[in-house]
Amino acid sequence: MYVQLKNINKKFGSYQAAENISFSIEKGKLIGLLGPSGSGKTTILRMIAGLEEPDSGDIYIDGQCVNGLPASKRGIGFVFQNYALFRYMTVFDNIAFGLEVQKKDKEYTKQRVNELIELIGLKGLENRRPHQLSGGQKQRVAFARALAPNPHLLLLDEPFAAIDAKVRKELRTWLRETINKVGITSIFVTHDQEEAVEVADEIIITNTGHIEQIGSPVEIYKNPATPFAARFIGESMIVEDYGRFSGFELEEGYEKAVLRPEFIKVTRTDKEVYPHASQRAIIEDSLFRGNMLELRLNVSGIKLVAYRSLEDDFLAVGEEVSVLIYRLYLYNDTQVRLAENKSFQASDIFTI
Amino acid sequence: MKENIIKWLLILIGAAFLGIMLLLPLAAVLVYSLRQGFEVFFLAVTDDYTVKALKLTLFTTVISVAVNTLFGVFAAWGISKFQFRGKQALTTLIDIPFSISPIIAGLVFILVFGRIGWAYPLLEAWDIKIVFAVPGIVLATIFVTFPFVARELIPLMQAQGSDEEEAAALMGAKGLRIFRKVTFPHIKWGLLYGIILCTARALGEFGAVSVVSGHLRGKTNTLPLHVEILFNEFKLTAAFAVSSILVLIAVLILILRNIVEYRVKREER
Repeated sequence: MYVQLKNINKKFGSYQAAENISFSIEKGKLIGLLGPSGSGKTTILRMIAGLEEPDSGDIYIDGQCVNGLPASKRGIGFVFQNYALFRYMTVFDNIAFGLEVQKKDKEYTKQRVNELIELIGLKGLENRRPHQLSGGQKQRVAFARALAPNPHLLLLDEPFAAIDAKVRKELRTWLRETINKVGITSIFVTHDQEEAVEVADEIIITNTGHIEQIGSPVEIYKNPATPFAARFIGESMIVEDYGRFSGFELEEGYEKAVLRPEFIKVTRTDKEVYPHASQRAIIEDSLFRGNMLELRLNVSGIKLVAYRSLEDDFLAVGEEVSVLIYRLYLYNDTQVRLAENKSFQASDIFTI
Repeated sequence: MKENIIKWLLILIGAAFLGIMLLLPLAAVLVYSLRQGFEVFFLAVTDDYTVKALKLTLFTTVISVAVNTLFGVFAAWGISKFQFRGKQALTTLIDIPFSISPIIAGLVFILVFGRIGWAYPLLEAWDIKIVFAVPGIVLATIFVTFPFVARELIPLMQAQGSDEEEAAALMGAKGLRIFRKVTFPHIKWGLLYGIILCTARALGEFGAVSVVSGHLRGKTNTLPLHVEILFNEFKLTAAFAVSSILVLIAVLILILRNIVEYRVKREER
């Protein structure tokens, strides 16, 4: 294991930012630390970086215990949330800074910086100051600056938070590809599950100072280990009286259920295929989402959201439709369980 | 139309007020000092005591500005870049010289270092003279002028935050390099502005210095004190002539200040 945390605890006053955190990361992986704000994800990142000291527990990087080792001796690169570029230095000087601190010779520094500028695609902008760059360009410079001294480990704190939505998607792909190309083990922090799912090889979900689940995005999506993970990943709706849905029964010990829009199939009543597994609902609202329709449904008092392809027949607001629910995640305070629609034959499952 | 009237009225009031309260007296100083001709003016300005007072004033100013620049940078750095208990108290303490009358500032030094002061026996033993000597004048001037640089820098450095410093430290840069490469470029014009204000104040300081100086002509007399003595001796022309030196320096500083302000604004754009 390349990076390893063992029983890390950290308190800020009475606030427990990390409680018995343990995990390990393989070399070369791109890891997403995902959690809502205040979940302790940034604290974990800062402790790995050496910007915060844990109250107890051990951190290993490349087999070496780094407890008490100052941040500058850990061989890490850090990309700050707001980039923290040196505003009175040019792009070139920003990237060269780490190498100059290490007293690398001038020829090498120049060559390395040019190589990185090439990598981030900012050739020709070497002499710009940070305020003359766009958000995306700043982020690339911050990335190159962190990589310049050849760190073993790259840490990124909310790398896309300060960029507008449109550029963000493009940058995600770019960052993922570039990190793969460089082959550096990386950990990034985010509160955006979409971002984590898209960029990370593996996701660590944190909540109120502890880890909820570790796994690949697909694994977490398909088999959420905790109620929190079930609710946090995907577009989740929480339903209390799920026994009212055809094909599901209220189960002892599970008061609530999570379902996602993609678990729901909406058809016109005259085209209903599985009457036993379906129920009627009224369309309360229909919103155009650019590439699909988002339907707001009222299923005998329970409000649900479902998606519908634009290729399907048009459904009007107020119309009665047939609703088929494939599956639910049942949960209580500590457990989560997958429940399939019992009246629905397994062989008939649509690909969703 | 109506707005135009208000605009010009406001400008007129402002200009008239400044003219009567500031420009007229300053002009009067120059006019009065030259009333008996250039020769008298020249004699007063080149008088032995005047030259000595000027030298002492400049000496005091240079030392106080140097000390306060150093102190101001350290204090601003500490307050803006670190979290610690009593930070608010320290910030308030820096402002004390602004709120205390200079006379009291002077008296404080008498009470500490003077014949009745608790540090007196110690000073006596080491044969150091502070009160009624040059060290006392320098100390009093430092006391009165020490908020200027720190006050100028604290908001500037707080606005910059400590992210860049943190980033630099993470890459292994040490304190001095961080200051030189990251912090200083950000504060240089503010620092210069603070130094200019501090200089202006140090040159003209009267109250605190008056208390600790002892008014020994040619020894512990600064330029403002010298003006007062001349004035009290009814040597009005001489008093105004010497004053004009101070006015001249003040005008120069004002011009310098404007240049710096202009540069700051250009930098910000």
